[in-house]
Amino acid sequence: MTDKQRILIVDDSEMNRSILAGMLEEEYDILEAENGSEGMAMLQKHGTGISLVLLDIVMPVMDGFGVLNAMNKYHWIEDIPVIMISAERGSGHIERAFELGVIDFISRPFDSRIVHRRVVNTILLYAKQKKLAGMVAEQIFEKEHNSSLMIDILSHIVEFRNGESGLHVRHVHTLTEIMLRTLTQKTDRYRLSEADISIISTASALHDIGKIAIPEEILNKPGRFTPEEFEIMKTHSMVGAEMLKDLPAYQEEPLVRAAYEICRWHHERWDGRGYPDGLREDEIPISAQIVALADVYDALTSERVYKPAFTHEQAVDMILNGKCGTFNPMVMDCLRDCADQIVEELSGDSLQRRSQREMQNVARELHKHKELTASERTLELLEHERMKYSFFASLTEEIQFEYTLNPPSLLLSTWGAEKLGLPEALMDPYQDELANAIILVRDRDNLADALHSTTPGNPVVQYDCKLNVGGEERWHRIIARASWSSEEPPRYCGCIGKAMDIHSSRLHLEQLEQQASHDGLTGLLNQAYAKKRVRQRLEDRPGGRYALAILDLDNFKQANDTYGHMFGDQVLKFVADRLRHSIRGGDIAARVGGDEFLIFLEYKTDLESTIKGVYERLSGGCYEKFPISASMGVASAEAVGTDYDALFRCADQALYMVKKHGKGHYRYYHEENDQMDRAISAVSPIDGADGAGAARREEADT
Amino acid sequence: MTLKECYAALGGNYDDVLGRLPERLVQKFVLKFLNDGSYDLLCRSLEAGDRGEAFRAAHTIKGVCANLGFDALLESSEKLTEALRDGAPPQPGEEELIRRVGEDYRRTVQAIQAYQGALGA
Repeated sequence: MTDKQRILIVDDSEMNRSILAGMLEEEYDILEAENGSEGMAMLQKHGTGISLVLLDIVMPVMDGFGVLNAMNKYHWIEDIPVIMISAERGSGHIERAFELGVIDFISRPFDSRIVHRRVVNTILLYAKQKKLAGMVAEQIFEKEHNSSLMIDILSHIVEFRNGESGLHVRHVHTLTEIMLRTLTQKTDRYRLSEADISIISTASALHDIGKIAIPEEILNKPGRFTPEEFEIMKTHSMVGAEMLKDLPAYQEEPLVRAAYEICRWHHERWDGRGYPDGLREDEIPISAQIVALADVYDALTSERVYKPAFTHEQAVDMILNGKCGTFNPMVMDCLRDCADQIVEELSGDSLQRRSQREMQNVARELHKHKELTASERTLELLEHERMKYSFFASLTEEIQFEYTLNPPSLLLSTWGAEKLGLPEALMDPYQDELANAIILVRDRDNLADALHSTTPGNPVVQYDCKLNVGGEERWHRIIARASWSSEEPPRYCGCIGKAMDIHSSRLHLEQLEQQASHDGLTGLLNQAYAKKRVRQRLEDRPGGRYALAILDLDNFKQANDTYGHMFGDQVLKFVADRLRHSIRGGDIAARVGGDEFLIFLEYKTDLESTIKGVYERLSGGCYEKFPISASMGVASAEAVGTDYDALFRCADQALYMVKKHGKGHYRYYHEENDQMDRAISAVSPIDGADGAGAARREEADT
Repeated sequence: MTLKECYAALGGNYDDVLGRLPERLVQKFVLKFLNDGSYDLLCRSLEAGDRGEAFRAAHTIKGVCANLGFDALLESSEKLTEALRDGAPPQPGEEELIRRVGEDYRRTVQAIQAYQGALGA
């Protein structure tokens, strides 16, 4: 690592680059790019790690103005100074360059001392500016700090007039903050940012400023209010809101807006029975809902002129029992969930704890000011994040990526780039042959579509596909998060994500699926899976002409008995093989169990010729010494409808008829078969009520 | 042959360049000019009819010559650059401009090679 500042030279002529580098390399680190697009990639990679850019205008791929446009778009031009160097003399060029934010324009031929001087000056100037921006940011923090001090003072005036201890405001502040944080962990329904929490908690101090307008004798009356007095007391919420509304200059300040909501609506209740507007449920802003509960809780647990202090448990019980009106159930959950924290924070509200909290708040303020893009602090944080990211990225063996839509560019983690054989920064990846060889266009487009159709609230996409890694197709799981701009409406501007190799687990899964769906001996589908597939087919294309056949090997029991089970298994495999070759691609063949097989097929016009063909290819000939003969029952959807169970039952019955009438042939199911079958069932004691076809056939075989 | 004599032979302005760049760098970049591919690129793109690329190549030659004070080649390449700007269609006399650039380029290269030879000797 070097402490030298870095200068990026973007020029298509190697000569020109080395002339410039030759003048500057003693004092600065020099990066070189031979066109605008390469230059952009370096800017993207190094960010403000680049102290200055020397930029040519006329270049292939992306010219100097293209670079300036992009730098403007990303606001890099505000942090990274650009000096344009060109042989172009037209004043139009120079003017355009200045309009796009270059700090200086040097024409060729240049004087080395002038270039050197201007580079040094510019870098110094920017360093100074960054420092100034940092100082301005500090001043803003100071101002914020002062304004919360003002709020503190103001609200305490109210309290002292109210004869309260002065702790109420502080307690409400603490309670509000704790409950808001708990709430954000519970739900993101209210979309509360760190800044919102800070603003609402600060504004909570103002909830009772309207009490300034309430006559002192009512305000501090020890006993119960008369109805008239209560009506006057109730005006304090609206009065407070009006006071804030009368602050003409600050209506757009988030703090004033939050304070307005809180003042006006902190006596509204969830069931609509509060005042002044009788709002219900989430009509009441969440800021006011939370402060209302904090206000009630603290009133209960503090001593007042008209009541003693209740314990935490008593207070929570009273609130939960609706003694103080109803609240948002989710907010009450928050109160319950953070009970321990509340007791601890409130009981120990010592000076030390307070200053601790102030420290925490200062830290939070830093978050609040993240929009100060140019401040030194932000840049440092950014630099820190970048460092952290690249450190973790280098530790994990994952392909991590960042895709920017405009200008189209892809950044890869070092490990990922190496793994994929791509550079770490890739401009225009859609047009890049190497990149396109890694992912199928279809997968890439599916992924892009999925990312485009996310929302800022739900931006994460998971997509499994094959990637070509080092010449090998491997399954990867891509998890990506879309980046949406913060403008309204939000704009999709790219994504970050990673790709994990899930090849082996995916293969394992496929293997398990194969095992679960196939018969181990013959490799045909098993019955359960065949049933699923047949049903699927019937559902997908209900108009097709289908038939289901069940076949059974004649005298198979003899094969087992005479030659042993091993031989029997061979026969089954042999038949399964024939079966596979007797049907067409789209048809379904399965082993139902034992020596029984199932075929589901689709025919065009003539069922008989199709079935005849299949049967003739299946039945006949021998396996070694064992003659292969099959009995087959067929049911067509035309005859029995498209219900799988009906098809199966009817084919089974037709098969039963075949067995009854001498085996070795096939039959179709007809109504009359069915009736005949029933007649047989009626006279045969073996065909019990359970109607087990297999048992019947076993009987017929022997 | 001295660097000054080399500049005289290629039609350059030695005093001007020394006013802008340290002599050490001038010598280095003059020699480097021999390896610059811009002229080749110019010839190839003119042959292929790629006038945009030809413009960029001529522009680069012009920029390098301006920096090094190669006035003769600067003048002819600058004229050609303007003739090629914005993909303008060929005008009568362009052939002559191209021929002039070629002539000046060869003269420049020969002078630098002679100087390089003298350094080695």
